[in-house]
Amino acid sequence: MNTIELQQTLPEVFAGRDSVTSDIWHRQVAFQRGQTCLVEAASGTGKSSLCSFIYGYRQDYQGIIRFDGENIRRYTVSRWVGIRKRSLSMLFQELRLFGELTAWENVQLKNALTGYADRKQIRRWFEELDIDRLRNQEIRRMSFGQQQRVAFVRALCQPFDFIFLDEPISHLDDGNGRIMSRILTEEARKQGAGVVVTSIGKHLPLDYDRIFAL
Amino acid sequence: MLWKLLRQHISLSQLAGFFFANLFGMVIVLLSVQFYNDIKPVFTRGDSFMKKDFLIVSKRVSTLGTVIGRSNTFTEADVARLQEQPFTKGVGAFSPARFKVYAGLGIQGMQLSTAMFFESVPDRFVDTSLDGWTFREGQEEIPIIIPRNYLNLYNFGFAQSRSLPQISEGVMGMMRLDIRMSGRGQVKRMKGRIVGFSDRLNTILVPEAFMAWANRMYGDGKEALPSRLIVEVDNPADDRIAKYFKENGYETEGDKLDAGKTAWFLKVIVGIVLSVGLLISVLSFYILMLSVYLLLQKNTAKLENLLLIGYSPARVARPYQVLAVGLNLAVLGLGLLVVMLVRLQYLDFIGRIFPDISGEGSLLPALLTGGMLFLAVSALNVWAVRRKVNAIWMRR
Repeated sequence: MNTIELQQTLPEVFAGRDSVTSDIWHRQVAFQRGQTCLVEAASGTGKSSLCSFIYGYRQDYQGIIRFDGENIRRYTVSRWVGIRKRSLSMLFQELRLFGELTAWENVQLKNALTGYADRKQIRRWFEELDIDRLRNQEIRRMSFGQQQRVAFVRALCQPFDFIFLDEPISHLDDGNGRIMSRILTEEARKQGAGVVVTSIGKHLPLDYDRIFAL
Repeated sequence: MLWKLLRQHISLSQLAGFFFANLFGMVIVLLSVQFYNDIKPVFTRGDSFMKKDFLIVSKRVSTLGTVIGRSNTFTEADVARLQEQPFTKGVGAFSPARFKVYAGLGIQGMQLSTAMFFESVPDRFVDTSLDGWTFREGQEEIPIIIPRNYLNLYNFGFAQSRSLPQISEGVMGMMRLDIRMSGRGQVKRMKGRIVGFSDRLNTILVPEAFMAWANRMYGDGKEALPSRLIVEVDNPADDRIAKYFKENGYETEGDKLDAGKTAWFLKVIVGIVLSVGLLISVLSFYILMLSVYLLLQKNTAKLENLLLIGYSPARVARPYQVLAVGLNLAVLGLGLLVVMLVRLQYLDFIGRIFPDISGEGSLLPALLTGGMLFLAVSALNVWAVRRKVNAIWMRR
């Protein structure tokens, strides 16, 4: 997948508003593979909605979203399953980890599906993000910042053309933010992937090609 | 790992409830099917070569009738009217031989010979699979069905008083009777072979084709009206039959109705028990479905997350499907085991009452029914779980 186009896309809840000032909503926008983009927004302007529309788990929008020119509204279930395994990776704002499993199991649950990263690689990411000592701890006993890092590792355990990170460092210190940036840049370059990061204030420190105000 | 995640919220008590309810239902269904199949030969024994539900009807012979010479034969109108009755499936007439018959049998050098008579009924009332129930012109051997009473008469009366050997049905079947037929100035010798014994037909039965041929060759020419009819009915216990016969002064032959009646009642009772078993099975199926639905409902968030990280609905549904099918399989296995054990008990009992029945039959009816029940229930389970998971996918 090389491009994600948004044509006059607008969340249905915004439809009643008189004017929408945004770089994305109700415009013609395209995310290109290989580019790094930042979507900046105040709370409540539809960041997470944008992510869920593109990830195919909400359809309450107007306009058209296209992957490589094809309207995604027509995608079948199996098509979406394939895309989520191989083309699109998503770090959810609400993380969507499994509280009763350990950090390691959470990552393995994804990696068992894709078979993408090897054990050593995952251990290295855990070590670099300083959560290796927590890897056998249940997720629900971890702080949100720690959970964010686990979810980040999980998002890396698959091949992707685009990776979306929805407020990835809202609960992280700058040091960890820098480490995450480095790993992300490295991995995205390796795969030639596009990166889309959203933020409400603190940015993940990356070399952004484009910055949008939502 | 998927299982570790999804087995949470599994309620053991609910599953146990399903398990025992379903086991109960399954055992009742299987046992009734199996029991019916095991006990059936008791009622159909001996006359298995006859169509099951038939009655033999004659007109009452009364002293007055004899004195005034009233005929006790059936006219064509009688037959037609009987044919029209709602309980009738088919009517056939007994046609008697119109020539003289002598039969002889040599046992240990002693020649027994007696005057006899032949009758035939339309072949459709005799199970055609009966060995050798055919006759073609030129054939020297006549297949014959005799009443079982005749054999008893010989074995327990005649043979004992003359210290002759007793004859079993098998040996009797191997013996050849000397048949001598005479009429129209001709005499014909043939051999008779006994192919069956009947508890219900008080006559010596030969194939229809033979009777037609022999009457043509040796008969005295005049076509006699039948004095007995064979009537095939839907249900011998139907009270309309008794009423109709009473109104017309017909008689059915003795207690011959009873076996048919008992078999019919057995069928009804087994049917009732079977329905109760099926009902319990259906209810237990609902328990399982509710339990699985509840489980899915409690795990909805988890299932949603699994679908979001790339698990397919089929993959997410599988653990629950395996759970349901596994439980069904366990119920099937245990149910069959119980049926087997119970069957051993009652077979022993039946064997003591009807020595010649035991050992027959197999577990096949229970196996087949159980297998079919298992397949149907499992297919429904698998489908329902998949539908539920798909609904979780679609909800967004």
